[in-house]
Formats: sequence, C-alpha cells, structure tokens
Amino acid sequence: MSRRLSPALVLIALLVSVVVAGPLLSPYAPNAQLDIIALRSQAPSLAHPFGTDAVSRDVFSRVLDGGRISLALALLSVSLSLVVATLYGAISTLVGGVVDTTMRRLLDVALSIPRLLVLLAVGALWGALSFPALVLLIGLTGWFDTARIVTDELHALSTRDFTVAARAMGVRGPRLLWHHLMPHLLPTLVTTASFGVAGTIALEAGLSYLGLGIQAPQASWGTILRDGAGVVQSEWWLSLFPGLATVFAVLACNALGDALRERFAPNHVPSLAPRVAASPAPSSSRTVRP
Amino acid sequence: MRLSHTRWLASLFGFPFAFALAACAGSERAADAGDTGGTLIVTVPAEPSTLFPPLLSDTQGAAIVGVIFDRLAEIGDGLETYGDRGFQPRLATSWTWANDSLSIAFVLDALSRWHDGRPVTAEDVRFTFRVYTSDSLVVDNKSLLGNIDSVSVRDPRTAVFWFKRRMPRQFYDATYHMYVLPSHLLDTISMAKLENAPFGRNPVGTGRFRFARWEPGQRIEILADTANSRGRALLDRVIWSIAPDFGSSTVKLFAGEADFLEQLRPENLAQVARTPSLRLIDNRTLSYGFLGFNFRDRSNQARPNTLFSDARVRRALHMAVDRERLVRNVFDSLGMVALAPAPRALIPDTSAFTQLPYDVATAKALLDSAGWRDSDRDGVRDRDGVPLAFDILIPSSSSSRQRYAVLLQEQYRAIGVKATPKALEYNAWSDAVDRHDFDAYLGGWQPSPGLVGLMQTWASSGSSNAGRYASPVFDALLDSALTTLDPTTSRRYWARAFQQIDDDVPAVWLYEQRSPVAISRRFITAPLRADGWYVGLADWRVDPAQRIDRDRIGLGTPP
Amino acid sequence: MLLRVAQGVAIVFAAATLAFVLLQLAPGDPATALGEGVSPELRATIRAQYGLDDSLATQYGRWLWSLLHGDLGWSRDQHRPVVAVLADALPRSLLLMGCALGVSLVGGMLIGAWQGARAGSRSDRTTSTALLILYSLPEFWLALVLLVVFAHQLHWLPATGITGEMYDYMSAGQQLVDRLRHLVLPLASLSLVGVSVFARYQRNAMQESMAQAFVRTARAKGLTESAVRRQAWRSALLPVITVTGLLLPALITGAVFVERVFSWPGMGYAMIRAIEARDYPVVSAGVIVGSAVTAFGAALADIARDIADPRLRSL
Repeated sequence: MSRRLSPALVLIALLVSVVVAGPLLSPYAPNAQLDIIALRSQAPSLAHPFGTDAVSRDVFSRVLDGGRISLALALLSVSLSLVVATLYGAISTLVGGVVDTTMRRLLDVALSIPRLLVLLAVGALWGALSFPALVLLIGLTGWFDTARIVTDELHALSTRDFTVAARAMGVRGPRLLWHHLMPHLLPTLVTTASFGVAGTIALEAGLSYLGLGIQAPQASWGTILRDGAGVVQSEWWLSLFPGLATVFAVLACNALGDALRERFAPNHVPSLAPRVAASPAPSSSRTVRP
Repeated sequence: MRLSHTRWLASLFGFPFAFALAACAGSERAADAGDTGGTLIVTVPAEPSTLFPPLLSDTQGAAIVGVIFDRLAEIGDGLETYGDRGFQPRLATSWTWANDSLSIAFVLDALSRWHDGRPVTAEDVRFTFRVYTSDSLVVDNKSLLGNIDSVSVRDPRTAVFWFKRRMPRQFYDATYHMYVLPSHLLDTISMAKLENAPFGRNPVGTGRFRFARWEPGQRIEILADTANSRGRALLDRVIWSIAPDFGSSTVKLFAGEADFLEQLRPENLAQVARTPSLRLIDNRTLSYGFLGFNFRDRSNQARPNTLFSDARVRRALHMAVDRERLVRNVFDSLGMVALAPAPRALIPDTSAFTQLPYDVATAKALLDSAGWRDSDRDGVRDRDGVPLAFDILIPSSSSSRQRYAVLLQEQYRAIGVKATPKALEYNAWSDAVDRHDFDAYLGGWQPSPGLVGLMQTWASSGSSNAGRYASPVFDALLDSALTTLDPTTSRRYWARAFQQIDDDVPAVWLYEQRSPVAISRRFITAPLRADGWYVGLADWRVDPAQRIDRDRIGLGTPP
Repeated sequence: MLLRVAQGVAIVFAAATLAFVLLQLAPGDPATALGEGVSPELRATIRAQYGLDDSLATQYGRWLWSLLHGDLGWSRDQHRPVVAVLADALPRSLLLMGCALGVSLVGGMLIGAWQGARAGSRSDRTTSTALLILYSLPEFWLALVLLVVFAHQLHWLPATGITGEMYDYMSAGQQLVDRLRHLVLPLASLSLVGVSVFARYQRNAMQESMAQAFVRTARAKGLTESAVRRQAWRSALLPVITVTGLLLPALITGAVFVERVFSWPGMGYAMIRAIEARDYPVVSAGVIVGSAVTAFGAALADIARDIADPRLRSL
C-alpha cells in the first residue's frame, strides 16, 4: 500500500512545491514583454528554458504562473462540487423514500447529458468568463458523479452497525451526518476529489485551448496552449511545455487517486472518475446501475 | 453596416478589368488544348456560410462568388472610382450616360448565358437591384446603393439605372456592389425566404467558372464553364478545401495537398521560401487596424467620456505607442504603420499630411498637464481619485488584434496608464461596439475603393461611427473630398481631411497589412488585384511541363 | 426495458429543456442578431416569424412540439436547416466514436485481462504505470502531438478532414484507402486514451473475478489455467460492458476535441463552429443529440450486458 502511495505523494509534493514556489523560481514576471522585436518567439535556450512567445514573454515563467491558476481553478471548483455533492447525497439518503428514488433518477438523467457540450453551450452564450464564474460553472456542472458515489456510499454506511446504533440513540439529520457518517465518507471524498482535480485540470486546459476558459493575457496552461495553437510546428515549445505540465499534474493527481483507493479500499474495482462522468459503485458486489 | 472586417470585404470583391483583355486572349488560347486543364486547390481556414451574393459575409465565400457571378462592368486595376474611367465591360458590353447624367443605360451582352443555359436579361438586372435593396433581407451593401433611385427595363437587353444626385461615383455605385442574379430561378421565392433558399448552396451564375459541388465541412468545387461567351476558364477546376484553422491550412499547403493559401502569416514566410514547389506573390490588402476611443460615456451617451473627450489624453495615448515596433512584432515585414483611416493604396497623396510622433516624454507631459498624475504612487495615474484605466475590447477571433492588445497594455503601463485587454467572442464584440458600450476597442475596416465608407465610419452622422467622433470640420472636408468632381481639388480636400482627423486622434491608426499569397509554382498567374486575389482566376493556367496527376483529370464529372 | 426507454425519453426531454433555457438566456434574439441596418418592420416580421412575442410557456411548448417533429430550427450561420447540418455531421461523429469505442474495448479488455491474470507481477505494474500515463493525457494534446509528428513532420498521414481533396475522382479502392488514412490519427488519439480507460477497469475486474469462488471451483475441477482465465474473463466482462454506457459522455468529450484538432467535420466540429458563429440552434441541437446518443448507448450497453451475463450463459 505505502509502496503505491509514496511515489504518488512524491509527484504531488513536487507539483505543489513547484507551483507554490513559482514566483521564486520564475526568472521573469509572467506578463513582462522582454523585447518585442529581438526576443519574440525564441526557441528554448539557457536564458529561456521553455523559449519565449510571440510578444517576448518568458514561457517558463508563464508555465509556472499558469500552474497556479490552473490548479487553483481545479481545487476550488472540485471543492465546490464536493460540497454540493455531499449535501445532495446526504439529503437523498437521510430523507429516503420517494425523495431518494427521485433524486437518484435525476442524477442519472443529469449524468447522461454530456458535460462538455453544456460547458461549450454556456461558453457560447456568455463568451469570456471571469475566474470566479469559471469556478462556479465547472464546479456546478461537475458534481453529479461525485453525488452518485456519495449517495451509494451513504446508503451502504447507513446500514452499518454504528449508524444503526447512533440512530437508536436518537441521533438524526445533520448531526448524524457530520459526526457519524462523515468520518467514514471522508476517504471516498478524498479519493474522488483527487480524480476530480485531475479531470478538471485537463478540462480547463481544453476549454482555454478552445478560448472558452481562462482569458488572455492571464497565463494558464490552457491559454499558453492556445497561444501556440496556430504554430504547433514552428513554435512547438508553446504547445509542448504547458502540455507536459498539464500531463504531469493530471498524472500526479490520478496516481494519488489510485494510491488512495488502494489504501482505503484495496479490493474495489476502480471508479472511473475523472474520465467517466458516472462511476460505478465502489464495489462490484453492489449493482452498478439501478 | 456592421463593424466587421469580413463583411466589408464582401462589399468589394470583383473581377479585374486587366483580365478583360486577357480574357479575350484566353478564349483564343482555349482552343489550344495544351493550355487548358489543371486543378487548383485553395486551402481556406473556414467554411463560407453561403454563396448567395447579397448575403456574403466572409472572404472565402466572396472569392467563390466572385468567380461564379459577374458584375455589369468591372472596376479597373487602379481601383479608380470617378466616373466610368478604367471600367471594363462585363455582363454589359456598353453603356450610355443620359445628358443630365442622372441615368445610365447598360446594354447587356447578347451572348451571355446563365450556367443553366438561359440568356441574361435586363429583368435580371432589375431583379438584382430589388434583392440588394430589399427590406426583408440584411444586405450589407444596401447602404452603399442609396444614391440609386431605381432600375428599369428599357428592352430585354437594356437596363437603365436612375440616380438621385449627380455624384462622382455613380457608375461605381451601380456596378461594383452588385453581382447580377438569375431572376428566373429566384423571383418565385419571397424575399424573406431568399436568405435560406437552396440557391445559396447551389448557385447559378454567369462567370467563366460554374458551381459544381459543396461537400459540407470538406470542400467546394467549381468547374470551367465551357459554354461561356467570354471563353472557358483555363483551369478545369478549383477546389476550396476547408480547414478549421490557419495552422491546418498551412500544413495542407506545405504537404502539397493544396496549391494556394491566401493571407500568409509572417511566421510562414521563411518556410515558403524553403519549399521549392512554392512561390510567393505579393498582395496588398485594403484593410487598416486601429485603437478607437469612445468620445461618449459608455453607459450614458449624453455625457462625454471622462478620459477620451480630452484631446490631450488622446494625443498622449497616441504618442506613447511605438507603432513601428508593434507592427514589426505582429506583422514583421508584412505590415506598415497606418497613416489615416485608409490604406495607403486608397490615399490620393500620402505625403500631404503629417503624423504625431512617437514621443513618450511628451505623452507623459500631456497627461501631467491634463491633471492625470500618479498621486497615490501605485503606478497608475489618477485624477480626483479616478485612475487612468480603461478596457480595450477585442474580438477573440483575431489573433493579431489580441497580440496588439497585449502589446498596447505594456506600452501604456510604461506611462502610468492601465489598459486591460478584454476579449469578447466576435459577435458579442461586434454588438458591444455597435452599442457604443466600450472605452476603447481594436477595430479594423476594409474600405472599398473611393473611400465613400468613411462617411459611415468616421463622419459624425455615420452609422458605424462606433466612437462617436464628431468634428464638423472633418465632416465638411470629407464631404467636399467625396463630392468634388474635379480630381485635383478633391485631392486637396482629402489631404486636409486626413490631417484634421489625424490631429483629432479619434483613434490610433496602428497598421495596414500586406498579405502575400503562397502558390504552387505549377501555376502561371496574373497580378493580383488589391480588393480580391481571385479576380483573374479564370485566366490562371498550369505550366504544361509541370503538370501533376490531378491536373490531368480533365473536365469529366467524378466517377 | 420499459424503464430504460422511459429513462431515455426523460434524458432527451431534460436535454431539450436545458437547451431551451440556454437559448432563452442567450443575449439577443434572431432579430437583434441581424445588426443595426435592419428596419423596424423587418425586425417585427422576424420576431413574429420566430414567435418571440409569445409567452415563454407557449414558446417552450412550440419548441418541444417542433422537436417532436424533428424540426430543430434553422442554422443562421449555414443558411440551412439544423437537421441538414446534423445529417452531415452526426454520421461522421458516430463513425469515429464507434471505431474508437470498438478499438478501446477490444484493446482495453485484452490488455486488462492479461494484466488481471498476473496481478501484482512486475509486468503488471509496469503496464499499469504506462496505462496511468496514457490515462492522464488530455485527448486534444495527444492529438496535437500525433498531428505534429505524423502529419507535419513525417508526412505519413494527412493532417485534416475525412477524405482527400481529390476523393471524388478516385477509384473505389483508392477511396477506401484514402478514408482509412484520414481515420488513423483521430482514431489513434481517441483510442489510446480509451484503451487505458478500459484496461484499467478490466484489470481490476479480472483480478477480482480471479479471486472469486467459481474460479477456485474451476481450478479444483482440473481445468487448465487458460480455461480458468477464460471463465474469469467472462465473469469480468459484465462490469466492463456496463461501464461502457457510462463512458459515452467521456468519449463524446474526447471526440469534440479530436474533431477540432483534425478538423473531422462531425458534431464536435459543428458545435465549435456554431459557438464561434453564435449559431445557437446548432449549439442546442448538439446538446440534445449528444444526450440522445448517450442515452441510446447506455441502453445498448444494458442489452449487451444481458447477453453477456454469465448467469444466463455457461457455468
């Protein structure tokens, strides 16, 4: 277990430290135009390890700076998703009965509407979105799969002895959720969040690449990729380095998710988040689809 | 008129007169089988939305329509718009002016046929004018036809244009803005339905090429019209191959999958030079780009703008911009600093007026004198607690304007002005600009020859005067320049008008572009006309010695 | 089964409602979108023509009613019915996604089963790491890399489109080759990621199934190891097939980006173009069709699961 966990933790530590220490490491201000004639579109060199872009900004500094935005967006929107999903799952489970059935069916429906298409449609309507709006948009369209996992897990937990005992002692509602169920739900949430962050980083890169995510001149991995979109061949460094950074971050989070899952639930068939909108229940011993 | 580069383009593309002569020569050569044939593949970074001429809104569609359809007469190579000077016969073989100059009778070529074999009649011309001026359609060129009162049919081969006023550009107005449409195919459709009529995806024209097929999302193919009275096109076919973006288009070009790419970008020049099978043809365009200021408060049109109503601020914002370096960064050798709201090619005398210099010290001093000082030491000047900050609205579709915005932001930061680029999706940008809902914006216009469009874009009554620049002096000078029939006097008015608007700084004129095309060396071409590369396409041919497989297919329909 | 159909209908209905809401929220309407030089009369005509002055409920009812009749409105950008746009785009997307799904399923199951049978070994761990890396690649970036390497640099394969420029003038055999050459790169971009998804899933399902009682029974009955694996594989098939239906939204996401990069003129390409042109009817049709495809795919997966269910088959 720890054998699986430690490499993942190393990757995450590396990612976090590079991003947090970004301002110290980056040789230039991310938006500084160094010399718009002499230093524009320079291939990687010692002075500019990731090259420079069309307005002579240092790509290395931008990748570092962009990482902060990309990760912040992913963390914030996934946190939002987790909160909404947990509340939804909790209400569904604690109320039970017809409400529970209806809420689960609604989730099924929501999960069948491809999220990206909705994001594209919203992007088409509102055009350039601000950072907080993006967090809201991505967070509020990304909680359905988490809600499903949470609901399944809470259902399983509510038949366990400690829950039955707590109920017998008269513990109900939020108190039951917070004190008795949450501690057991936490591993699932952390694991899901890990995959969620991975998926959201990739999603942000994709949306920004299409021009619907973070807006220039703010650097994010997606916007740098967009800067390089028309010149993938001649100015390859604009596509390669932010792309590698994205892959590295997604990989680190996925590895962490895998490792966490193995630690918390070694015998479970993996959930497929983030690639899959709806993950099957954590254990194959339960039915996957109602 | 919408503030859109591409929509304007649509209003200006046409056929060359230079090739009218070549066309005759071409038709003789056509008898010599060795010279005809060949396939030209044009790669374009977007798909046209329609091929119905009145509704053209993109350059791709304009090129295809420009070779399938004809105008009554074609403007000369020098894009001269006074009278009928330089104009060459096209669908009309001759024309006569009425004695009072208030009407022109066009006599149609008796041999002209639609691609379905029907003869071209004066009724087609009258119908065309009705469509272009219909209230049920949104036709950009409609506003340019305002001086034409009506078109009547004198006899089946003679159409008469009636004008409201005598103007230097009557003839140009009557011929340049309209492609003649087949009334026998369209007059049964109500005007409102024409927009969505199948004709727009299956057009029938009179040009030396005829439409062949449109595979949505993939390609549009046209073929030589062998029955054309002006001689068949020398090439067998031209295929517009649709790529989703500019990058994909260049790949097709360099891989030899395509033969021709319009509007090459600076970063690709070197690669064209390195590719033995390609050559460059220089091509002027008529567009210019600028940073426009809003003279009025964006939320209350009645109030002046707190920043830009002050001429000192506008001049400072002009002088702080190193336009030369910006052009070199964005367009390299393919751009020039624009001198006025018109490209050099359309300015009668570029040396007759002067420009504000690039002078950061003076810019700073001007802002100081206007009361904008950095009193709170945050790097941004302020006055009465208001920071000297504004948004620059840019369309997200234009990579060069996005680049300009980022560069301008940095230049203004150096003089203590906070400019924030704000990219909007193209239509949203266009809406915001039309509604005057902006501080500053990066715009681009492509004026048609004759510069009549300046009345719309910069005169105080202009419908597309987004920044609400209002100078009675400029208005008067512009009107004189446009209506004076004597060319020499007119030139003097132009010089004074440009000097006036340059001194008023309603905008910082940033760039005009040269836009070379890359083409396979197999093709022998004619010089390109600035308002459309495709005007002589019917006379392009393939060097017989360099033919490749796709040049040898012949005119047969596909298996 | 009836439940499935009901759910499918509910999904399409929900998507249609969502699309309607999005259209209502869109800034401007078909009349304002025409720009400034439009006479008030024309504006009024267009508003009447689109029924924009009716109540929201009436508009919503009409919207559902016309959807029911297969009328998705007009594409302003392409000057033709949205249905015609879909008729061109959808088959191309289904072709690409169908091929990608097939390759991913077969490839993923083979790799996953191979791994699952030797779970914990060195080769399993190495393969897992490789799959995790593939799994972490954003499709559009992988597509860009493949595009640059195989189309731009090596010129082995065409960069864009579904057929070459001269396709119409080729013989049938050449046409087939041409289509296949155009398919390779988009398919590879989608499938490399897809294989990793299925393989990761199949490996664990297989591992679990190998640990189950019936496998021990089979071993005890003296079946050969390969026969045992076949049995275990069949049992592991069930959850994998089930998840296929759930994977469709992810596949659609990938396809949108891959279509964009390789200009494969399918639904994703049409959507992105419509977004750039603010062609809302096409955008909303994209949402509805995407959801319908997902619902339909999920139903198919359920049927496939019933067929593959080992309880209905041998053992």
